[in-house]
Amino acid sequence: MKMWFRKQPAEQAQNTLFALLNRYQQSGDFVHFHHPQSPQPFWISYFGTLIDVEILHRDILPYLNKTAFTSLEGVKAALPFEDVLITSDLQQIQDQLLEGSVLIQLHEQDSECALVRAEMKKAREVTIPEEEYSVVGPKEAFVESITTNLNLVRKRLPISELKVKEFTIGTLSKTKVAVLYIEGITNEDNVNTVCQRLTDLQFNQILDSSIIAQLIADNGNSIFPQLIDTERPDRVAGVLAEGSVVILADGSSHALIGPISVMGLFNAFEDYYVNWQMASAFRLIRVFAVSFSILVTPIYVAVLTYHYQLIPKDLMVTLVSSRRNIPLPPILEAIILELTIELLREAGARLPSKVGQTIGIVGGIVIGTAAVDAGLTSNVLLIIVALAALASFTTPVYRMGNTIRLLRFPFLLLADLWGLLGIAVAFIFLMIHLLRLRSLGRPYLEPIYPPRLKDLKDSFIRLPFSLQSTRPVFLQTKDRERFSKQQASEVNDIDE
Amino acid sequence: MKTAIKSEYLVSPFLVLFLVHGMQFGVGVLSFQRDLAKIVGQDAWISILVTGIIVHILIWMMYTMLNKDKGDLMTIHQRTFGKWLGNLLSLLFIVYVLALSITVLRSYIEIVQVWMFPLLKTWPFALVMLLSVYYVVSSGFRIVTGVCFLAVVIPLYLVLTFFVPIEFSNFRNLLPIFDHSLSEIAKSIKGTALAFSGFEFLLFYYPFIKQPESSQKWAHFGNIGTTSLYLLIMIVTLGFFDQGYLNKVIWPTLMMWKIIKLPFVERFEIIGVTSWGVVMLPIICLMFWSASRGIKEIFKLKQRSVLVILLFICLIVCCLLIDRESIQQYNTFIGTIGFYTLFGYIPFLFICYHIRFIMRGK
Repeated sequence: MKMWFRKQPAEQAQNTLFALLNRYQQSGDFVHFHHPQSPQPFWISYFGTLIDVEILHRDILPYLNKTAFTSLEGVKAALPFEDVLITSDLQQIQDQLLEGSVLIQLHEQDSECALVRAEMKKAREVTIPEEEYSVVGPKEAFVESITTNLNLVRKRLPISELKVKEFTIGTLSKTKVAVLYIEGITNEDNVNTVCQRLTDLQFNQILDSSIIAQLIADNGNSIFPQLIDTERPDRVAGVLAEGSVVILADGSSHALIGPISVMGLFNAFEDYYVNWQMASAFRLIRVFAVSFSILVTPIYVAVLTYHYQLIPKDLMVTLVSSRRNIPLPPILEAIILELTIELLREAGARLPSKVGQTIGIVGGIVIGTAAVDAGLTSNVLLIIVALAALASFTTPVYRMGNTIRLLRFPFLLLADLWGLLGIAVAFIFLMIHLLRLRSLGRPYLEPIYPPRLKDLKDSFIRLPFSLQSTRPVFLQTKDRERFSKQQASEVNDIDE
Repeated sequence: MKTAIKSEYLVSPFLVLFLVHGMQFGVGVLSFQRDLAKIVGQDAWISILVTGIIVHILIWMMYTMLNKDKGDLMTIHQRTFGKWLGNLLSLLFIVYVLALSITVLRSYIEIVQVWMFPLLKTWPFALVMLLSVYYVVSSGFRIVTGVCFLAVVIPLYLVLTFFVPIEFSNFRNLLPIFDHSLSEIAKSIKGTALAFSGFEFLLFYYPFIKQPESSQKWAHFGNIGTTSLYLLIMIVTLGFFDQGYLNKVIWPTLMMWKIIKLPFVERFEIIGVTSWGVVMLPIICLMFWSASRGIKEIFKLKQRSVLVILLFICLIVCCLLIDRESIQQYNTFIGTIGFYTLFGYIPFLFICYHIRFIMRGK
């Protein structure tokens, strides 16, 4: 019987504001004190590490000390804040306190209180983008605060159709995630897919938008990114106007764009800031660089292991003499060099920048030359591997660079197994994988398959803006036209 | 009969062009000249034209049947011959398709074994190719069409290589024209049946096309493409080689590739044979897709398990055909069956279907 009675008061006590504040006082940074020397005494509580003390000193305490108020409505009228919340809902009080609000009670045992938002807004300054740096064009990048990021995007799309849907994801991190789209342009299916996947998400901590990208991807086992991440607000504004859906997460300086096609991985936004001829040439160079990077080392291995007859006779002497003193078969040579470059890259990434530069010089020049002199590798292969590594970084999306680095290894192994035929087999598997892949339900390989001739105008090449009057077909937008083509193509006759 | 296939699995009618052309342009290309030249000599190009026209008529017949029926081969058989006989005939057709796929795969592996890697064992390579076939077919018909599309578009550079022997050819070899009788030309069509086959799979994938009636013109265009390509290759072969040589060589097209000179490779036929693997893949994929789908419809089994069993059978039979003679015997046998199936059975089915249609209409 005693146990019955003992339980109930404890449960009751848990559910009051007083008990809640008592529990919070176990944290050293929780401040809870009584202000008796004002016209009306009150109790104030807050997390000292979450609020901006300036706001407390400047905007809250002076007003509370000056005016006499008899109720919480009086408190609300006295304070110069537009969103003072009066509530007794414990869940809401908890959430608000942990976001950086100041809690004001009239008496210690009150269950109703007033909450004033006073959070500390410290984030990085808006600076130059690091990964997607462009020589021409704006140089603003996203920061970790979602309010600043939304501000950067809304500045560039000051229309009322830009809609923002907010979600809170992550049981421990309670990250604010925002989904942006333009109503009237974006296809509702895309938006609904994204929103549904986000609400179905069950995860404990979302530290970065890339975790969201991995969790809602169509195929988590694929090394190809199914959502592009970008840190440029102008790119986000551009794709929103095309009809994509954008996901922003608090605490992350990257935004996610979807749905994408494989051509989006080769498009840098700088292409729109230079002439269309240069943009087309650079895109073609990028496509060539990626294929070169994946294929050239496997072709070297295949030709030197199986197909001596393919080498042109002028090159034959150089190649054979470069391999004369090497004790290893071509595949081992290639794998050793690839692994060395991967080691250099990983080491350079972990070291602080001052030491990292030394490693770059030491690794790149000294180790390479020494390896050739020691007879461990041939100088032809060294050039090939170095060029391939360089070419893998021409993709504007950083994730694609990682993909290409990894893709090279299956090609290498199959080239060692069956020569050129092995490369063809690896290419077949790659082709099938890309055909099967989907991004937010849309085929990944558009506009190549299903063939959409209209979308080719902005894929391998960029045609001039005057020819781009329609939005990309693969986004299935509701509003197909960017601008009226007839008006744009009216040409005056001679001397008219 | 309305198709019960969801619209997200359907394919646009323009892709029928690549489906028909991709299936026809396969292993036959590398060796078809010899069977023709043995019988009709320098008039072989006339046989190709005649066969092309006959195939157009056959495609028209198939479309008339399918447009009325709005189904596929299995439903046509069931409507025309009743359930049991119809299913039996469908099953025989499916066995023919399976045998054809074995022909295609084994011929390609043989070419690789003769021209690139003499010591290559059959079973590892066949296993890897069949794995990729499983990967494709298990993803659905859209991916199969995608593979067909890419495998026609990517190796298009091979067409340019057929223009190279022109500067060394002597087109007087084509004269005198019409030196052979019509009956000899008719006999030679038997040899081209295998080269032109591939359009009959329309009977299997017709329900998967959006607005199927509008895809008929694309099927005809596909066949025109195949016929023109074959015509080009045949004329160049006849101009380049002489008749005595053509009667003996097995792979004339590959011999023509030997003369191509590029600054960065010495032997082009190795690259040609390697690209041919990409050309071959969709043919095998579509055959297995059709066969597994047919069995699924007849016996109501799961397509995935049927596919695995069919792939296994194909692997075993491929490894049983060891040397040149057995492959040649098998190919000739399948070629004859193919000729009678395509040029005899399809018109027969057409007539029976219409008789039944008229009877039911009465």
